[in-house]
Amino acid sequence: MTGSARGAPSPGAVGVAVAGRAGARSWWRTPTARRYVFGYSLLAPAVLYVGLLVGVPFVFSLYLAVSDAAVGEPVARFVGLENFASILESTTFYVALRNTLVFTVGAGILKGLLGTTLAFLLVQPFRGRRVVRALVVIPFTLPIAISVLGWKWMFDSQFSVLNWALSRVGLIGAYGSADWPVWLGQPHLALLSVMFVNVWRGFPFGAIVLLAGMTSVAPEILEAAKVDGASFLQRFRKIIVPMIAPILFIGTAFDTVFTLSDLSIVYLLTNGGPDGATEILPTLAYNTGIRAGALGRGAAISLFLFPLLLPAMVLLLRTLRRRQY
Amino acid sequence: MSDSGHFDPDPAVSRRALVVGAAAGLAGGTLSTMLEARRAPAQPRGTNLRILTWSHFVPAYDAWLDDFARKWGEKNGVRVRIDHIPHLELPARWAAEFAAGAGHDLIQFAGQIFTGQYYRHLLDLSDVATGLEKKYEKWMENAKTAAQVKGVWYGIPDYFITIPVLWRKDLFDSVSVPEPKTWEDLRKAARLLKAKGHPTGMQFSHCNDANHNWRALMYSFGVKETDPAGETTALDSKEMRESLKFAKAMFDEGMTPEVFSWDDASDNRFLASGVGCWIHDAISAFLTTKDTNPAVFQHTYVVPEVAGPGGLKWNVGEPNVWAIWKFGRNPQAAKDFIVYLTDNQKEAMQASRGYNMPFLRKHYTKPMPGLGNDPKLAVLQEQDRITAFFGYPGPMSPPAQEVLTTFVVPDMFTRVARGADLEATMKWGLGEIRRIYSKHKAG
Repeated sequence: MTGSARGAPSPGAVGVAVAGRAGARSWWRTPTARRYVFGYSLLAPAVLYVGLLVGVPFVFSLYLAVSDAAVGEPVARFVGLENFASILESTTFYVALRNTLVFTVGAGILKGLLGTTLAFLLVQPFRGRRVVRALVVIPFTLPIAISVLGWKWMFDSQFSVLNWALSRVGLIGAYGSADWPVWLGQPHLALLSVMFVNVWRGFPFGAIVLLAGMTSVAPEILEAAKVDGASFLQRFRKIIVPMIAPILFIGTAFDTVFTLSDLSIVYLLTNGGPDGATEILPTLAYNTGIRAGALGRGAAISLFLFPLLLPAMVLLLRTLRRRQY
Repeated sequence: MSDSGHFDPDPAVSRRALVVGAAAGLAGGTLSTMLEARRAPAQPRGTNLRILTWSHFVPAYDAWLDDFARKWGEKNGVRVRIDHIPHLELPARWAAEFAAGAGHDLIQFAGQIFTGQYYRHLLDLSDVATGLEKKYEKWMENAKTAAQVKGVWYGIPDYFITIPVLWRKDLFDSVSVPEPKTWEDLRKAARLLKAKGHPTGMQFSHCNDANHNWRALMYSFGVKETDPAGETTALDSKEMRESLKFAKAMFDEGMTPEVFSWDDASDNRFLASGVGCWIHDAISAFLTTKDTNPAVFQHTYVVPEVAGPGGLKWNVGEPNVWAIWKFGRNPQAAKDFIVYLTDNQKEAMQASRGYNMPFLRKHYTKPMPGLGNDPKLAVLQEQDRITAFFGYPGPMSPPAQEVLTTFVVPDMFTRVARGADLEATMKWGLGEIRRIYSKHKAG
């Protein structure tokens, strides 16, 4: 808003400027301005926090991805999209991309199914329910390195307790026979194994999220639906899911991000092997960017996760916002 | 001071002011000297020395090193702290220290050699390297590939881990195969013994052992990974194709699919379980069997390396190299420690149970600690003459390191072992390697 608009009588430039300053000063004293200042002051820490912890690293990784940065060279040249072009020439990248999608979608579906089932079981009243509820979250709370090393032993090619149990009950042959599974050595089985560990670790989280939502649904509504003849699936689909949708969306968003960027399980179990059978974008990015020192290409590989995540997150958040209004 | 010559203290200057003034003058003088010199004082006495190294596979060595460093520190008035972290986590740590411009005064490149990546920010240690060479005769020829860039020593080789053949004499005897001298002998033994429930195994997976075991086979077959300058790949050769064919045959005849899932410790367990007829691994696999399965230990013997079809014999070791950041706060103490440790190499090698193989010729004077008095391990006392490192014959340059950490070579062997077309595999592997080399900046 200009000074003249605020009613300053002088047509001269100086007069306008002085009147403008006076007008601005007076606007800052208005209750509206104070409300804005107060509101933005409250928002500022969150914006600062997200900006520093998410925005700055993201912008920095963008900068690395378009440069020839290496671990020992602080001054990098701008190389445009060369790193991306180089990655797209590599067949290993396409294998990693495919595995990442299979890993994320497959593990997500399995975690959804198992988490829902577990939540329904845990919502039922039974003796020792609290203890069981506490026990099921153990996989999620254990340090990832320890739990994954435990699975590494269980998947061991020679001393796998799973194989020994299966062999004992006659489902597979003895060690050394053709049907002795090599969990981390056969390509499809290896990918399935790393997915399984991710599911084992993650589905209790899904169950707990779902459980929290389900307990917030008033029992009277479910009882009324039951009286009206709604089956179990109808009650779940028509009442429970719509009522807990916001929680489900947030849980799904979290789980997708965590699964897509999960480095530890694959790194500790197979490091992407054999022959890239379990290579995912995070392991490829880590081995290229940190272990080989090619920061630019490592950042470019990891940025390929962004276009994968962005549409999913936008879709989830938009659906969530529509439901809120 | 008065004109009369006797001391006449100025009542305006208190005792406290005098002490404060003197201290400030001393500090200011020291600071100005340091600023003039543009570096921190480098005298070891009364200073700190922080060392970053890996968690050694022989825990007793770490304990020895900690104690050794502490005693050295006490003698020289240096407070020494050694941080041991898993070797795979070291690259991230170096990167963090470099980015921060602060960290350990002395770092160790363990297996993953980053001399080429960081040399512009490392101290020139040619004086230390030359001094040690004068004392202990020649450096091993391949030591230079790990520690030099453009002829300048930016690192000081500490030790390398050798990866010999560990074979079961009783099992070989049972199929009338004598001590293996060639890869062909190993293949024959594996073929005959697999039928008896004793296959062999080398990792076809993403682990360190896969990287150096298949390179040992390649180099012994005459393969050169790069040109001597390390500028381009030299894998597109008849020898590389022959080594891939040989590996495929050895897998089909003498191994089981479990090798596709193996990590660095799987072959140790395979030998200790009594199943494996031979493995290609560090002597820790042999030494631990002494405790875990004495019967197997009794029949297990060591061969330094076996030869390829042309009689070439190359073992591929894992080097460990000391380096000092330019921003390190105590370079002199760090240099002194390296020299002192090298002076006490025999004690160090004994503490590692013969695991730490020296880079300097004089340290191969027999009997070598941990090896010379053991009838089975004594054969390893000439290992410096047959050891190469990744990237051979070129240096362990940044692109060579990337080829290593992205497991292109083991993946080529895996593809062929699984039945992929040899030429298609060569095309894929060469494509990946050439792409890596083309992306690295020259120099």
